[in-house]
Amino acid sequence: MENVVQVNGLRKVFHENIAMDDVHFNVKKGEIFGLLGPSGSGKTTTIKILTGELKPSSGDIEVLGMKSDMFQTASFQSQIGILSDNSALYERLTVYDNLKLFCKLYSAPLQQIAVTLREVNMEKEGGKVVSKLSKGMKQRVLLAKALIHQPKLVFLDEPTSALDPGNAAYIHRGLQKLNEAGTTILLTTHNMEEATELCDRVAFLDQGKIQEMDNPDALRYKYSTHNFHIETFEGKKLVMINDVKSADKIGQMIADGQVKTMHTDHPTLGQIFLKLTGKELV
Amino acid sequence: MHLQRIHAIFEKDMKDFMKNTMMLLMPIVPIILAFFYRQMGPGEEMPVMMGYIIVGVTYSAVTANCIMAMMAEENEKKTLRGLIMSPASFLDVIIGKSLVTGFMTLITLVLSLLILGIDSFLNTRAILGLVLLFLFFLFLGIGVGLFAKSISTVSVYVMPIMFLFGFTPMIELMGLSEDNLVKKILDLFPISQLIEMHDSASWLPLGMVGIWVVAAALFMYVCFIKTRQDD
Repeated sequence: MENVVQVNGLRKVFHENIAMDDVHFNVKKGEIFGLLGPSGSGKTTTIKILTGELKPSSGDIEVLGMKSDMFQTASFQSQIGILSDNSALYERLTVYDNLKLFCKLYSAPLQQIAVTLREVNMEKEGGKVVSKLSKGMKQRVLLAKALIHQPKLVFLDEPTSALDPGNAAYIHRGLQKLNEAGTTILLTTHNMEEATELCDRVAFLDQGKIQEMDNPDALRYKYSTHNFHIETFEGKKLVMINDVKSADKIGQMIADGQVKTMHTDHPTLGQIFLKLTGKELV
Repeated sequence: MHLQRIHAIFEKDMKDFMKNTMMLLMPIVPIILAFFYRQMGPGEEMPVMMGYIIVGVTYSAVTANCIMAMMAEENEKKTLRGLIMSPASFLDVIIGKSLVTGFMTLITLVLSLLILGIDSFLNTRAILGLVLLFLFFLFLGIGVGLFAKSISTVSVYVMPIMFLFGFTPMIELMGLSEDNLVKKILDLFPISQLIEMHDSASWLPLGMVGIWVVAAALFMYVCFIKTRQDD
């Protein structure tokens, strides 16, 4: 499958601090790729480099077939959508007027405003002045702003960080729909459930380096001990090793009707991150 | 340049401007000042210098101050990054954002000069001088607005600009001798050059103002490029 983002040997140094060091990854067309890491791990720096807001110190970077020196051209910017900590709205204007501005800047049809507002569950709030909106509502308008021109590639930096679970779930469904329509999404998050639910592949970023990268299920399998956790009707909790001897014993327990619950030992992405870096993913 | 993008930025700024009370009040200052000056000598022809005091106040209080506040607010609230990261070019953003200020400046200047006496300014060289002076204050305002990074710091920068470039004709009233170094330096400033232009047939003063415009444009461009990236 075609790579939409290709990063080889990315290095970013701020004065004497190494923020990114020898980072390699790619994002395939049509996938949702998650960059996971705690605050200060380099997630936002990566997004800023990939969108042209920062210049890399060294490394070979290609996004949508364009090298990093093309990232500030209109042809590049019209194909990407960004939601980051640098995204903002005009507080004195209405939601509609904010989106109308960006519709015109991106030469998108004005009908797209209603469509995008519906996607972020804000169709009734178009006439409201932005300063009167809650933080979560503003985040949804920012997301609408990033999607208004139907970009091929969307960069989302912590897209649901300010949202309550209900609205976050609504946004997740919207992003999945967007992805099904062919949009490639690169998102950063420290929300494990979000990454597991949305991402086709994830990369763990810590101290400016990628520590691990794969499909969430594959990672959970890779770091599993493969033990069976069994709870019996008598209230006993057993951990059985995944081998032939245990299989016979488990089979017997099932036949005897002793097993209440049984599951394999699959760690969460957060537990894997902790195992790899010794840090909590917050 | 992309007309639709320029129009979109202008339309947004106009709506924003009309909801900003502080900005709406700025054009009143030179108009009231022109009215007071007119009362000082009703029926008399106003000295050219008086006209340039009004021009200086208009360009510093309306042109430079408004565009400075607008750019600094965009910079502070991070909305400028949204414009820069869109397909709009440097020229689209600068022209789009300058139109509202230009429109307000034009109305204020015409009204003020009509009150004070506009005759001295109704010739090609004077009009060209006023256009160049507008561009100087506009570019300086945009540059400082981008450099200031917040609305609160704009007030710190606007005062020296007003006194140095807007109130330069006041120096004449301070009674400095012709040999005074400060006077010699200030005579090179744009408004002094335009006042001097009225006493001669030379186009050199306009050339001098042109150099100031180019310097301000370079300053604005450097500030814009620095704003474009986080490095």
